[in-house]
Amino acid sequence: MDCNTCDSPTAVVINKPEVVEVDLTITNKAKEMLSSAFGDEMSHALLVGVLSGGCSGYMYDLQIVESTDQDCQEVDIDGFRVLVPNATSHLLDGIEIDYVDRLMGGGFRINNPNAESSCGCGESFA
Amino acid sequence: MGVVQLDAYVLVLRGKDSLSFIDGLSTNRVEGTCTTVFTTSVAKIIDMVDVIDKGDFIALVGHGPYKEALIDHISQRILGQDVSIGDASASNLVYLSTEDIEVPDNVTKFNSFRGWLIVSPSNMNFEITMSVADYDEYRVENLIPIQGKEITPKSHPLACGLSDLVHESKGCYIGQEILARMRSRGRQGKQLVRLANPVVDATTIGETHSLAIKRIK
Repeated sequence: MDCNTCDSPTAVVINKPEVVEVDLTITNKAKEMLSSAFGDEMSHALLVGVLSGGCSGYMYDLQIVESTDQDCQEVDIDGFRVLVPNATSHLLDGIEIDYVDRLMGGGFRINNPNAESSCGCGESFA
Repeated sequence: MGVVQLDAYVLVLRGKDSLSFIDGLSTNRVEGTCTTVFTTSVAKIIDMVDVIDKGDFIALVGHGPYKEALIDHISQRILGQDVSIGDASASNLVYLSTEDIEVPDNVTKFNSFRGWLIVSPSNMNFEITMSVADYDEYRVENLIPIQGKEITPKSHPLACGLSDLVHESKGCYIGQEILARMRSRGRQGKQLVRLANPVVDATTIGETHSLAIKRIK
């Protein structure tokens, strides 16, 4: 393979989805659990992201962060700072962040009206 | 045998997330140079690609007619990851050699299950020493599938001889649930077989034997 040619291959045109202003909700149970997770660090934020992969093509990624270098929009919900990367905003508009309290398969859950299907564990969607 | 030219595309992926990006979307564990398969949510093949890790970039070598489907599949999943895609198909030619041959420094050689894959700048004259018919005969003899004949969007990887490219213990990828279920239940449905001629619905016809995808009882 000629590296001189590889330095300048024709760029593949990728249609980037439009950035949408995200509207999201957090259930009371999820707020309780977030309060517990944040503790006194209310200046921190919940980063709600999407990664490629998983059984259905996209995977949710929840992190508590001080800041991020991703281009994000910030939503304030009852004092909780929620960050949503603009690159994935089209996949996350309208989501509800819930918390399922059970021994197996419990934890934060995302109910996503944009998802056509989800895998069994609920972490992956299409 | 010899060297045959393939109808292939060469995509160049750059960015620190390129390998993990390919790993998360395909059937094999991708940690460097290897061969892997992209599948749909129902485990049908989008394309089989040779992943060539060149250090500062990753090359994906796949079947020419399947290029647009693969680009469409992967490009919408880049999201915020550090991955960019370039198309170097016009500046490279792809060959397959049944033997390990010497190549110049600016030619990339990779030993895949099909033979030695060779990616050469298109301005180089690489000698073709094997006809497509001879290559088909070699494939029939060695039970080697190729895209467009055995490896098609109608098949899943376990049916067309690509079981070795479906990693048994890697994490989730699109189509993984179906392939794992087929394996765990021992229900692979059809399989790639080599049968003596005449063969009904052969995918590749050889002189004495042919390849076909048949349901195994």
